[in-house]
Amino acid sequence: METSAVEKQPETTTEAKEAPSVVRTKRIMVAIDENDSSFYALQWVIDHFSNLLLTTEAVEGGILTVVHVQSPFQHFAAFPAGPGGATAVYASSSMIESVKKAQQEASTALFSRALQMCRPKQIRTETIVLEGDAKEMICEAVDQINVDLLVVGSRGLGKFKRAFLGSVSDYCAHHAHCPILIVKPPKEMTK
Amino acid sequence: MAEEKNKKKQVMVAIDESKCSQHALQWTLEYLKDSIADSAFIIFTAQPPLDLSCVYASPYAAVPGELITSMQEIYKNDALNRLEEGNKICAAVGVTPKKVLENGNPKETICDAVEKLGVDLLVVGSHGKGALQRTFLGSVSNYCVNHAKCPVLVVRTKA
Repeated sequence: METSAVEKQPETTTEAKEAPSVVRTKRIMVAIDENDSSFYALQWVIDHFSNLLLTTEAVEGGILTVVHVQSPFQHFAAFPAGPGGATAVYASSSMIESVKKAQQEASTALFSRALQMCRPKQIRTETIVLEGDAKEMICEAVDQINVDLLVVGSRGLGKFKRAFLGSVSDYCAHHAHCPILIVKPPKEMTK
Repeated sequence: MAEEKNKKKQVMVAIDESKCSQHALQWTLEYLKDSIADSAFIIFTAQPPLDLSCVYASPYAAVPGELITSMQEIYKNDALNRLEEGNKICAAVGVTPKKVLENGNPKETICDAVEKLGVDLLVVGSHGKGALQRTFLGSVSNYCVNHAKCPVLVVRTKA
């Protein structure tokens, strides 16, 4: 579970100051996945908190961090292939490569979609890819990167509609060490 | 969704006696002051229902009416004091909040108020009177996160 390279936007990026004074760079982190709920959360943040994050000449705006956690690919497990069940194919290195590539492309697609949303509002954005268990990685990232506000959607990859709150969002609400905002889609979106 | 943009945004902070909710209120005012500058700010507290179990221990056969009313008065005054303190904290940064007091269980009243008042953002502390060590998230906050119809912001300190 390593952190991949942090890609920063071409605009000037400054480090978030460590001292807990009032005038420090605000950092809002939004966790996204393929689900629309998380993009709705991102849009909500952009709509409502844009003046917090706006960078003008006078005021140093905050940073919006978009994080995506990839589920780890179990390349050491055997894949049953072919009829009869006797043939088991272990993931070859080329297969691992192609899956990794597919995951990279998926992440890139998500990030470009997110950056498209942020661009009109001139928000300083950075993107992070993490690998591992989504809920733990997000909470770890909060600790390491000194996040001021974590924003999550309410429902993620699981289609378990009876649950009120997705497992990742629920875990983060309980365990993250920073204020957390849970954005629920309006009723029209949940059919 | 288009007509909602014209309506003023409503931000509601739910408070109780705990320090945590006070901290939540202060955090909101400090962190979000630019964003809430053009929205309505509401402070909400719930007056919990009367706990009459202690009253029945009295030696009188019938429950004395004045005792009940005086207990209700005390609860109400506590709630109003909380709202006043919250009001003072807001006034210190120049925000004039609307104060709302509801009777009943905090969990349900908060979520009902969210629907009734059309709140756009609900802010709660992470814990109430319960000890920090025992739970990750207080019961009322947990309930609100699961059931409120609007985005919920849980303010917790960096533990």
